[in-house]
Amino acid sequence: MSAKNKRIVKHISPIQVAADAPARAPTRRALAKQQTRVKVLAAARRLFSEQGYEGATIRDIAAAAGMSTGAVFANFTDKSDLFREIMTDDMEALLGAMRDAAVRGRNVEDGILKAYMAGYTFYKSRLQLARAAFSVSWDKDGGPSLRGLPSSLAFQDIFTELLASAVERGELSQEAEVKMRAQMLFDTYLSNFPQAIFEGWSLDALQTRARDQIRILLAGARRG
Amino acid sequence: MSNADVGSSPGRPGALRQSQKEATRQRVLDAARELFDTYGYQGTTIREIARRAEVSVGSVFTTFASKGEILSEVMQARLDPLYAEIDRVMPHLRGPTADRLRTMFAIHFEFEAQQVRLFLSHIAAAYDWTLTEGARPYGRNARLQQAISETLTKGQADGDVRLDIVLQEVIDLLMSAYAWTYRLVITSDADSKAMIAVMDRQIGLIAEGFAPRG
Repeated sequence: MSAKNKRIVKHISPIQVAADAPARAPTRRALAKQQTRVKVLAAARRLFSEQGYEGATIRDIAAAAGMSTGAVFANFTDKSDLFREIMTDDMEALLGAMRDAAVRGRNVEDGILKAYMAGYTFYKSRLQLARAAFSVSWDKDGGPSLRGLPSSLAFQDIFTELLASAVERGELSQEAEVKMRAQMLFDTYLSNFPQAIFEGWSLDALQTRARDQIRILLAGARRG
Repeated sequence: MSNADVGSSPGRPGALRQSQKEATRQRVLDAARELFDTYGYQGTTIREIARRAEVSVGSVFTTFASKGEILSEVMQARLDPLYAEIDRVMPHLRGPTADRLRTMFAIHFEFEAQQVRLFLSHIAAAYDWTLTEGARPYGRNARLQQAISETLTKGQADGDVRLDIVLQEVIDLLMSAYAWTYRLVITSDADSKAMIAVMDRQIGLIAEGFAPRG
């Protein structure tokens, strides 16, 4: 919650707005617009979490934010635009946490596991939003734009970098097929979310499972 | 309702209603299959299904508890011929476990590629908000798991699958590799051939993980 508030504060800070447009102070109108965006995003986040992507309507989101649907549409093209904005915000925060966790690993396996756990810990408090995101990502219409977000693609790079540096260190063989293995590590990371979302797995249980999965996926790339 | 249908169940009270109910059910399933394959899981509504099936929304709900349940029934009905084929083919397969898995998944991809959006719907439904008990989205369908399990167990007997692996973990890895390979349809409009090629490599990599040590 505090992290969320911090991000919201960051959004409406006049300093931030000024930094975006250094030439002149923000007009009152620009500030009001920014505040509207923040209010809508907060309401949308809450409704997507409570009612899922399908269940939340623009009308409800507008009502929760205390404004007209017209005011919402003045700031966002549609519901999927709103959702992408929220996901981008979250994913950027998570990317940082995952990178930090990954570099603290004692070896490649531990680094990958720590990256996984950073992700599961992050979403533990927002599983409903994660559920909405998965549902959208498998939609032929909404999926490509969500999956294609730069922050979405950057997750896989974390695994690619971990593997590549392990190859450099000689921990993994030169023929480690880094690209495919990174893809599979990312897929496996994602595939454990249903256990967390629907079956209420604890972080410990997820960690035990993830460690075994990572070992299997790395086995063929071990040296000697 | 034709006269022939009514005539086939003469005399029994309630029989007419029963067969009407069955006909409604079938119409709903047919309409739903087309809609899911065209508009995806999110894009399909019960109202739209009822309209296409030419039945009332109310009568859809007397038969099915939710959209997810309708999709589960649609998938279930389609899977019968698929698994009949799997059951027929698997006992005749020879060679390493990885190759037998490759063949089994290739049959799946070729089958699902015919109505690929229907299968994407099946996966998306696993994250549905309002999922009811009767819904069996991807992952909760036991048949694929069972087919993989049998293949791995045979591999253990043949000596090319380690005895100390947790079978369920390898099954889950293969199931998720299979499901996630379908994202290639979303990101790059992949056909079954392209998906099979990717899956073959993934199976090879997982097989390195379950191969006996040494």
